[in-house]
Amino acid sequence: MLKLAFYGKGGIGKSTTVSNLASAFAANGLKVMQIGCDPKADSTASLHGGARMRSILDLVRERNNDFMLGEMVREGDGGVICVEAGGPTPGLGCAGRGIITALEKLQEKGAYEVYKPDVVLYDVLGDVVCGGFSMPMRKGYADRVFILTSGETMSVYAAANIAMAVKNFRGRGYASLGGFVLNRRNAPDEDAKAAKLAVDFESSVVGALDWSETVQQAEQLGKTVVHAFPDSPMAAQYRALADAVLAAARKGDASC
Amino acid sequence: MKQTARIISIHAADTSGVCSMLYELGGMVVVHDASGCNSTYSTHDEPRWYRQDSMIYISALTEADAILGNDEKLIGDVVSAAKDLSPRFIALCGAPVPLLAGTDFPAIAAEVESRTGIPAFGLHTSGMRSYLAGASEALKAVVSRFCTDALPRTDAPSANIIGATPLDFSINGTVESMIDWLNRSGFELVSCMAMGSTLDDIRRASAAHVNLVVSSCGLATAELLLERFGTPWVAGVPVGKKFPAVLASALKTAAKTGECALPCAERDASSPVKKLAIPGETIFSGSLAAAIESDLGAPCRVLCPLEAEDRLLAPGDIRIFDEDAAAEAFAASSVVIADPMYAPVCPPDVPFHRLPHEAFSGRCYRKESLNLIDRPLPWRF
Repeated sequence: MLKLAFYGKGGIGKSTTVSNLASAFAANGLKVMQIGCDPKADSTASLHGGARMRSILDLVRERNNDFMLGEMVREGDGGVICVEAGGPTPGLGCAGRGIITALEKLQEKGAYEVYKPDVVLYDVLGDVVCGGFSMPMRKGYADRVFILTSGETMSVYAAANIAMAVKNFRGRGYASLGGFVLNRRNAPDEDAKAAKLAVDFESSVVGALDWSETVQQAEQLGKTVVHAFPDSPMAAQYRALADAVLAAARKGDASC
Repeated sequence: MKQTARIISIHAADTSGVCSMLYELGGMVVVHDASGCNSTYSTHDEPRWYRQDSMIYISALTEADAILGNDEKLIGDVVSAAKDLSPRFIALCGAPVPLLAGTDFPAIAAEVESRTGIPAFGLHTSGMRSYLAGASEALKAVVSRFCTDALPRTDAPSANIIGATPLDFSINGTVESMIDWLNRSGFELVSCMAMGSTLDDIRRASAAHVNLVVSSCGLATAELLLERFGTPWVAGVPVGKKFPAVLASALKTAAKTGECALPCAERDASSPVKKLAIPGETIFSGSLAAAIESDLGAPCRVLCPLEAEDRLLAPGDIRIFDEDAAAEAFAASSVVIADPMYAPVCPPDVPFHRLPHEAFSGRCYRKESLNLIDRPLPWRF
């Protein structure tokens, strides 16, 4: 089982990218579980027609611990097992602690043992702003962290912060950095900026995605590009990225 | 009201369970909590505090440290103290504030161990569960770490006692009486986890033929020793006059066959007749119920207010999740034997016998605590 966490500045395209990777992995015959770690609970929407699904914290709110594993998941396109951590009432509670609770519930109820996914993808909200949002990279959760960035200054800044957090947690047995993913926004010199960022953290840019209207068209349909437009150039880019991410994640880990 | 205790006490929390279980083992226990809370874990719940040294510390967590995620201060302080004290191990455990901040104790322990070279482990305490959960996890962590070698079994029959803490057995000679009884029953003691034995005694646990689990906080460790070394376990406390013989027989059978046994739950409380109620830790209470039934002929049922596996309950035993449930169960009973702090919710027409339980009332009734091991029970019904 390969467990990968995806971080990056808010709005950089994590959920879109992760969902397309999930579709690409599933199309290659892998059993995939995608876990949205965002209070908005919309990470997996494009895997099930754009509809919202009940989150783990919705279940906790309604029934405390009195619910079954099957109620926490929803099967999406291509058989991807979709999970949304969810969050507290907007403006109240603690979103980070909510992520911890949601991931603990998933583990307590045996999600990994029952569904036995080949790949688990954690789609994590924005930056590593607190202990809760570092949960997906803690021991027992993700093995590798991938960071999405564009060439825009604030995005690179956020990516560097996340990479620094991963580096600082090395002594704790947390996930290691798998690499960066460049999601192009047509900013000046963005390939070079992403490459420099990777060099600064002794890592690499494992893949790059062009800006494409196809992404928005698929989103309108409530589907991933890989699923809605499998023959498009953008779908080919996602498939190539999926291969590159897998290769980077397996690098130096014989067990993967 | 559900899930509340308006009148009666609540049981000691998981952090107290950790401190109590590890008190005598030469390790350093650090509770990550605000300064001042040490008295809860130590003086209120710990009768050994004034007569026996132990390395139990509070981290003096501040609001700023919690908000800023200043784990480095905790790590630095622990490493510094460990260099001065040279403990055999370091146990780090949390309280409600670290729970909310999501502090990752196993990860912090890994950092502490890498900097000190001293075995360290992080425990998942939160102050939100009972002492049994903390004591269970703490003992299992120690045994998992230190009992790694399969030693040859002793020549003579032998046993470990697992799950003994003052929270369940106070300091009134009960544990010593259990050891005497074990010896009289033909078993040498390898270790008593964790009262009166050293960490080195516990390291030899795999040499025992059988394990006697005296509290449900010892069950996870007994299961670990079963899995690791094939040592069977028997759950029960030798209270009263006749039940100790049943327990001794079960120990001998287990040592011979390798099969585990639960004499404390081999009862049936499901008949509609009014029964004597015993609220408390399930292995002790179940043993006492069995002893009262055999010695005094009064039908009993256990009321379980704590975490306990279903297999520790006999048919007809019930779980009581709050004081309303306790009051309702007492009202339907012929007699109640319980910690004095249960008395206010026992109806006046139901006879109430006081049996202090340190995990429930702390030091309040320590002088009244009873040693019931292998002797006639003090009640007549």
